[in-house]
Amino acid sequence: MLAVCLLVLLVLVLDLGQAGERADFGRAYLPPSLDHPFGTDHAGRDLLGRSLSGARVSLLVGLVAAAVSSIVGVVVGAVAGMAAGRGGGWLDAALMRLVDAVNALPHLVLGIVIVALLGPSLSSVVISVALTHWTTTARLVRAELLALERAGFVEAAVGAGANRWWVLRQHLLAHVLGRVLLASVLMVPHAIMHESALSFLGLGLPDDRASLGTIIEQSRSAVLAGHWWPAVLPGLLLVALSLLVFTVAERLRPESRGRA
Amino acid sequence: MVEPPGVDHDGALGLTRRRRSVPIRTGGPGALVARRLVLLPVLAGVVTLVMFLLAQRSPFDPVLAVLGERALTLDGPTLEAMRARLEDTSAVQQWLTWWGNALTGDLGYSTSQRTSVGTVLAQRLPWTIGLVSASLLVSIPLGVALGGWAGTHPGSLVDRVIGPGMLSVQAAPPFWLGLVAVWVFAVTLGWLPTGGATSPQASGVELLDVLRHAVLPVLVLALAHLPWFVLVVRDATRDALAGAPVHAAWARGIPRRRLLRSHAVRPALLPLVTVLGVRVPELITGAVLVETVFSWPGIASATVDSALRLDFALLAALTVLTTVLVVLGNLAADLAYRLVDPRVGQRDG
Amino acid sequence: MRITRDKRLRHLTLGLGVVLAATACTDPTQPGSGGSTEGGSATQGGPSGSEAGSEVVIATGGEPDSFNPVLGYARWGDGKLVEGLVRLTADLEPEPLLATGMPEVSADGLTYTFSLRDGVTFHDGSSLDAQDVVATYEAAIDPELASPVAADLTALEDVEAVDESTVEFTLSEPQSSFVTATVLGIVPSESLDPEPAASGDVVGTGPYALADYRSGDRVVLEGYDDYWGEQPQVQRATFVFVEDDAARAARVASGEVDGALLPAQALGRVEEGGDYEVVRRDSADFRALVLPESHPVAGDAAIREALNRGLDRQALVDGALAGAGRPAFGPIPPEATEYSEAVEVETDAGAAAQVLDEAGWAEQADGTRARDGQAARFTLMYPAGDTLRQNIALAVQSQAAELGIEVEPEALSWEAIEPRMREDALVYGSGNPYNADLSTYPLFHSSRAFQGFDNPGGYASDAMDAALEQGRSAMDEGERVQAYRQVQEELADDLPWVFLAYVGHDYVIRADAWSGYDVPLVEPHEHGLQGGPWWNLPAWTTTAPSD
Repeated sequence: MLAVCLLVLLVLVLDLGQAGERADFGRAYLPPSLDHPFGTDHAGRDLLGRSLSGARVSLLVGLVAAAVSSIVGVVVGAVAGMAAGRGGGWLDAALMRLVDAVNALPHLVLGIVIVALLGPSLSSVVISVALTHWTTTARLVRAELLALERAGFVEAAVGAGANRWWVLRQHLLAHVLGRVLLASVLMVPHAIMHESALSFLGLGLPDDRASLGTIIEQSRSAVLAGHWWPAVLPGLLLVALSLLVFTVAERLRPESRGRA
Repeated sequence: MVEPPGVDHDGALGLTRRRRSVPIRTGGPGALVARRLVLLPVLAGVVTLVMFLLAQRSPFDPVLAVLGERALTLDGPTLEAMRARLEDTSAVQQWLTWWGNALTGDLGYSTSQRTSVGTVLAQRLPWTIGLVSASLLVSIPLGVALGGWAGTHPGSLVDRVIGPGMLSVQAAPPFWLGLVAVWVFAVTLGWLPTGGATSPQASGVELLDVLRHAVLPVLVLALAHLPWFVLVVRDATRDALAGAPVHAAWARGIPRRRLLRSHAVRPALLPLVTVLGVRVPELITGAVLVETVFSWPGIASATVDSALRLDFALLAALTVLTTVLVVLGNLAADLAYRLVDPRVGQRDG
Repeated sequence: MRITRDKRLRHLTLGLGVVLAATACTDPTQPGSGGSTEGGSATQGGPSGSEAGSEVVIATGGEPDSFNPVLGYARWGDGKLVEGLVRLTADLEPEPLLATGMPEVSADGLTYTFSLRDGVTFHDGSSLDAQDVVATYEAAIDPELASPVAADLTALEDVEAVDESTVEFTLSEPQSSFVTATVLGIVPSESLDPEPAASGDVVGTGPYALADYRSGDRVVLEGYDDYWGEQPQVQRATFVFVEDDAARAARVASGEVDGALLPAQALGRVEEGGDYEVVRRDSADFRALVLPESHPVAGDAAIREALNRGLDRQALVDGALAGAGRPAFGPIPPEATEYSEAVEVETDAGAAAQVLDEAGWAEQADGTRARDGQAARFTLMYPAGDTLRQNIALAVQSQAAELGIEVEPEALSWEAIEPRMREDALVYGSGNPYNADLSTYPLFHSSRAFQGFDNPGGYASDAMDAALEQGRSAMDEGERVQAYRQVQEELADDLPWVFLAYVGHDYVIRADAWSGYDVPLVEPHEHGLQGGPWWNLPAWTTTAPSD
């Protein structure tokens, strides 16, 4: 929960960045200065403001995509796990083969195909990340469910007259939720990387909703013209953002709590 | 479910997933190979079918996709006539047709590359294979050296720096590393070309010319891969040193250097193969990004082009190709792992 | 989508692609492929050790999807590889090329008769005859091929070989611009059956033949020994395709190419170096705001008037276009005979504000304007990845904000733009200096509303329709010119679009190596291999090597 709060806080802080600044071509490619710590871009827009708002977009895409893919993962994992425990082995097998199939594809290529088919937009980027990242959660949930079934107390509770669904829901929540949450947070940096890669390839978010990936993509011309700041500084912000989220996730990991 | 040692330590920052997929049940290596090879065409079939189904649902207009913004220069009635001509056939029909042709060796015509898909593959695949293998030739030895040193010298400076260092490298997207490299070595210092694989004046493909162009893409790709190898070798070496055989050997007074070589570094090499197999999707991802940054004329950059231009013939072929590569990679990883741990085959997945 | 197994489809896609031949002057879209950087100034004298200056390496922006004129290559003529019955001179006048003279036109304006030059051979050795011309034109208007060239030949009904060296064209209605359309390159009839030859196999009658073609990388042209005219001094020309402006600039900076199309932003450095001469050309390649008729704000007469008078076009050219261009007020460039000054306005922000005030668009506390609760705000779409149009959209946003009008730029794919053209404004680009009919009729005639990308705002005016039809069918030059002046006056009155700028095309060419290069007076929207100083490559002369 602490981590989630931190992330929300992060989003709020990044909200300080102003993306709506008007173009002023007279100030194109100003190097970093006190006025513009990140310099300006080809249209004379302040890069610090754009980078911060881009980071917010990246983070939001990451969070939403991770949440959506966790939901997909939980549903698939739960169905498979319950089916496996109740004679629906074929359904379980089919779902697990689906997991294999999705895993057997390079996610970026799959993401490229999805965005190509749906058109570059915020929602297709989220869908592309969600559809490629749910498998870990699905496996996790299924494994937990099978372990629960084996532990026998579901049978015991059902034997004692409890509704099977109710029992599963209660135990599922109690046992699995924490781990799913952790997996979701761990997925956020993946999702951010995925989004920025797509944006860099021109398949992600357009300029008026620029993410860090879009900003770096646009900096390519600047780099070739010898202007380093439009690429280097937003890139460093992206690295920092990924590391930050990753560190938060690591803190959440139960087994890491004991370690230094 | 078998987890290769070390794979879990690479952090969550790789672009794609970390776990190998295909479960192993019973039987020897032969049965494993057979099962995977049966799975392969099924998987390829399903994946392409899904692609064609999605394409049918796509809001995209194929005429515009081919035209891009130049649709504007085209006469309106002509454009409408083209659209009318493109009557939809069912996705399943297209899928069957595609496979029918593919199996007879006709992969179709690539609209984005303006030539047959077969020619595209023949022209571009060698560039990608060259780029990826060269980068592995750099990153594997370097990874073994760094990881081996860190693993055999726990607590040393290298060991302490390597964890956060590799994590940061993983947090840096390869396309950004590429841009930074271009800025430093091509734009500022002027040592190396900014992109491409051959010079305009070169009348053909000249070795030295290509090598000069390859330096930056190879090194950037190698850097992007490096963390996996460093971490897996470090952990494997560390585990091996902590194991009983090493202690026994230590007690017998076997020289440290020989001990390390035979008991620590060597056992770490098989996990290396495993991680390589498991990492095939990331190899492809890295190739896509690095080829794009450096305008490398390989197949990975053509993937992006084909997607942007809705070149489904090429996209389908590339999807099948990557699927095959990933499955084979996984197979190699499993086989390698069996060599280390024969019990694997008996376990339940 | 549709997998191109079907041969017809393949034609279609080929045909479609060719329009890409031309690289419009967009900019870094996706990273280009191929090409590279090589230090030093390895200009002349390739491995063959040939005479200095006889070889040239040029970096262009885009790659033609085909070198087949039937599929759209060299739409305005001068393909170097291929030749048409006529060609356009640098002054935009047609002159005979493969024809012995200008065509004889019948009194009703429906029949054009050309006589062909003798002794012309194709690169494959076969000689040119009337059948080749007939086959070429028949293929171009074949609906199965869906050639973009068909748009220029809408009135062509029939083409016949009268004898070996005489061809007769029959039109369904008079089309004053028909001669301009006969720049279409002629290819051998055999190469069109059963389908047009692929790019690498295209043969024409031009001074250069295709020597090597690598898709995504380069094309090499070599002098054709049996050319009917004078042999070009530049015997070998390599065009490398580098889509990204900045990448092209980097290649010029490293001295590895002899000539290139360059973005204005990169010119400064190259000019300072002194190794290259800068050739700057005006164009008819306009950018304009399409204002949808049905939009409550963008369709409002006062808003349009305010934008037309209040936007500072020169500031936009200086900023968003980095100085490469000139203000535009209409679709027809000032150099064209049809041009009318009726479209011109002086920038006057005060007058614009007054127009808005009078129309009831009152200024509010935050500086924006509104009328009856309707905020003066509209969305301006531009194609994602097109930096030039993005810059224009951003500049318009900044300038319109000064007038109290909120413009919200939105980057979209063309697929997403098309269905929204009825509701939202769009940054549009087009234009050619040769053919007033082609640069106005599709854009403003009511019958073309929402046909593909024609008339995207849905503008409809009876007076405009009448003027366009009159211009298209006028046989008398004075009457034709008058009709297009009328078209421009209608535009100035109704302001369906706000024209902003003609985009300048800048080229660099290695100094002191060649002379005699010339560029067309005004360039069209499309300019690739055909444009720039290499427009008349065959006429270049090599200057004595200085070293």
